[in-house]
Amino acid sequence: MAQATMGGSATGARPTLFLRNATGLVKAWSTFDAFVYSFWSVNLITLGLYGMSFLYSVPDGQALVSILLFGVLTTFLVVTYAMLVSVMPRTGGDYAWQSRILGGAAGFVLSITGWWFTLFLWAPIYANILVVQFFSPLAYTLGSSSVANFFTSQNGIFVACLIVLAFVSVVVTLGMETYARIQKVCFWIGLGGLAVMILILAFASQSDFQNAFNREAASLFGASGNAYQATIDAAKTGGYGGSDFSTISFGPILLILPFLAFYLLWPNWGATLYGEVRGAKDIRKPFWSMFWGLWVTVALVAVVVLLMVKTFGWNFYQAANAAYWNNFYAVSGAKAPPVGIWPYPVMFAGWLVDNHLFQAVLIIVMALWFFGWAGTLFLSSTRVIFAAAFDRVLPSWAANISAKRRVPYGSLVLMIVPSIVVSAIYAYKPSFTSVFLDATAVLALTFLATTVAAIVLPWVRKDLYNASPIASYKIAGIPAISIVGGVTAIFLIFMLYEWFFNASNLYGTSFQSTVSSVVYFAITYVVAIAIYVIAFVVRRNQGIDLNRIHHEIPVE
Amino acid sequence: MPRIFFATDLHGSEVCWKKFLNAARFYGADVLICGGDMTGKAIVPLVSENGHYSYVLGGEALTVAADQVGEVEGHIRRRGYYPLQMTAERLHELDADPTKRAECFQEVMLDGVDRWMKMAADRLRGAGVRVFVSPGNDDEMEVDEVIRRAELVELGEGRVVEIDGFAMISTGWSNPTPWKTHREESEAKLAERIDSMASQVPDQGKAIFNLHCPPYQSGLDEAPAIDADLRLLHGGRALRPVGSTAVRQAIEKHQPLISLHGHIHESKGAVKIGKTLAINPGSAYEEGMLMGAIIQLDPKKGIKSYQLVNG
Repeated sequence: MAQATMGGSATGARPTLFLRNATGLVKAWSTFDAFVYSFWSVNLITLGLYGMSFLYSVPDGQALVSILLFGVLTTFLVVTYAMLVSVMPRTGGDYAWQSRILGGAAGFVLSITGWWFTLFLWAPIYANILVVQFFSPLAYTLGSSSVANFFTSQNGIFVACLIVLAFVSVVVTLGMETYARIQKVCFWIGLGGLAVMILILAFASQSDFQNAFNREAASLFGASGNAYQATIDAAKTGGYGGSDFSTISFGPILLILPFLAFYLLWPNWGATLYGEVRGAKDIRKPFWSMFWGLWVTVALVAVVVLLMVKTFGWNFYQAANAAYWNNFYAVSGAKAPPVGIWPYPVMFAGWLVDNHLFQAVLIIVMALWFFGWAGTLFLSSTRVIFAAAFDRVLPSWAANISAKRRVPYGSLVLMIVPSIVVSAIYAYKPSFTSVFLDATAVLALTFLATTVAAIVLPWVRKDLYNASPIASYKIAGIPAISIVGGVTAIFLIFMLYEWFFNASNLYGTSFQSTVSSVVYFAITYVVAIAIYVIAFVVRRNQGIDLNRIHHEIPVE
Repeated sequence: MPRIFFATDLHGSEVCWKKFLNAARFYGADVLICGGDMTGKAIVPLVSENGHYSYVLGGEALTVAADQVGEVEGHIRRRGYYPLQMTAERLHELDADPTKRAECFQEVMLDGVDRWMKMAADRLRGAGVRVFVSPGNDDEMEVDEVIRRAELVELGEGRVVEIDGFAMISTGWSNPTPWKTHREESEAKLAERIDSMASQVPDQGKAIFNLHCPPYQSGLDEAPAIDADLRLLHGGRALRPVGSTAVRQAIEKHQPLISLHGHIHESKGAVKIGKTLAINPGSAYEEGMLMGAIIQLDPKKGIKSYQLVNG
């Protein structure tokens, strides 16, 4: 039987470990591969540009400083999750950690609301991004305004939701190995498209852009005169007072953070999957993959923002967003902007080349940022549902996989059917819009629960902690995971406070102003509690004690 | 009504073995089944120098005084590795000679299994608990003899055993793996091995198949995809079914009451294959967590209840 030595004669160093051939002894996975997944999760183009289009609400906020601050604070989240991965690399991520540390009931309710119920809301958000970044700009560029108009209608929005759900279902059915290959192709071509966009913005002046904007506004949207200035004027009718990129004010910088969470809070999105990865106990792998996923994005965002400031003019970009959203939300007095679709920076950059075919190709290439990313919408959710089903909290059919195609049809049904209902509400009941704005906040609440689990881990599960590679990481005698988790918790609590209690309803999610979202989320937590209680009673009658799942067997 | 506790793939973790033995009282089980792969994968040398001992664990180089070695050995065993005190000369001798290293490994492993067997006898003598162990593909053939000699533990491999009116067949053999381990064979031979036992079971409705390798494409056999160089692909996110078609066909053909599996640590789950409930409780031996399944059997209902636990 062949055997191996680590640190042995082959390297000239003293051997530190003698290994024998045994199942599962694999070589480490590539940090780059895992980085790609994390990079997609904090998607610069899809989520990033969409999220940044709301920054006009804090005109005195300095976007660049906020982005860098967010990167620093989210690094604590990354460290917290990397440490948890190394202690308990379990399938299920948040659910597994919370239930093993905080208890089965708390773990189920806190994680299932975030990773299951809240992701229903993300399907329409993804669909909306697909419409504003792909269908609408492409249709206008190709001269088909009727197609663009369809996708802004209620039926069009619902159809877009169905397209997203169909795409996600296909990806889950294909499996991650196939999709990972697709992702890599999308990654490289998408990066190429971004490089082209950056070069165009870098070599164009603001007057070039003004001319290009006015030309395409007339050509594609039938606008007349100085559409650039008209856009700024339209924003003013909705109450927008202008924005100066050079203004730095601490308070507004902090107020921007909850907006940035929409895309920068997710480098740990793959944490629910790390349990399936051998070698996850090595803290460096999950840490560096998430760290670089976050910071490469932060760096690219910084570059794109600076180029937009230089070429579009920051005040114009903010005004275009303000004019669009004020018109969309029918803000009192708001006037429709001359370019009546979402201000897509990629489309604007394309306009600097006076060729509609080139503009269309750029939009299509940049859509790969969507298609390489959107497929993982339900991937983590299915893992959490599996974990809950194996714990017998959900019925066993929830974890069923079809024999031939290995489709997790149980969990897919649990995700897709409610998503269709929620998508219909999104499309046909605009009064529920505030509910969807809460989608980020509820996931942040789930992360907070995991962070609390991380903070108390060294005391609540001493056995696991002491056996883990991070047991020796201490600062002034205090476990590093508790300190890092503490910083993360403060960061998350600040954002949650702003989302739920901001006095001027800056994020559209303050409890005092959005009763429908309070009711919706109260219902989700009540339903989660009800599922657990029902499961507890049913299983007890079957002779199964759910409390027993995570109780440690005494060693001695 | 037998109440079974099944765990598997302890891979040398002494903490997990102790928990396994204590699971009888903790979960009220009267039958304990260890599904294989009980031996460790690595030796951690504790090198004696100038009255101190040096070792590397988790990438960290450490030196301890002689009176702390016992504590360190316990910590290493907890992780599923074998601690071994040696001189620097012996270290280099083992490093240079694969044959001597293999002999050393076997000696350490068999000592470990023997210690575990004695521990079982000490803890469970007179408790009325039956303990079955069926070595897995990672366990060398010599392990069987150590178990056979054990006072209280019964060897499951290759036999049909009766458990309160239910019949259990066991094998730790698997289909070929990239690691070329000790008990691997072609699917055809594995099918023959299983069939030769299954055909002796009088009532498949009361049969327990304790087969280390999970059935192919069952969801209990999903392992990270690797390349020919054993390197994980796609950041470890891509999964492939690696179970045995022979095991699957045996389950589909005989439709036992329940089938118990391990082998793929990440693929914890419980699925139905026809009438058969197939379980892989997974393994987290490195953290000292004992993942297992509690199965309450009933002469009339068959399976009264089952539960996967993380003890």
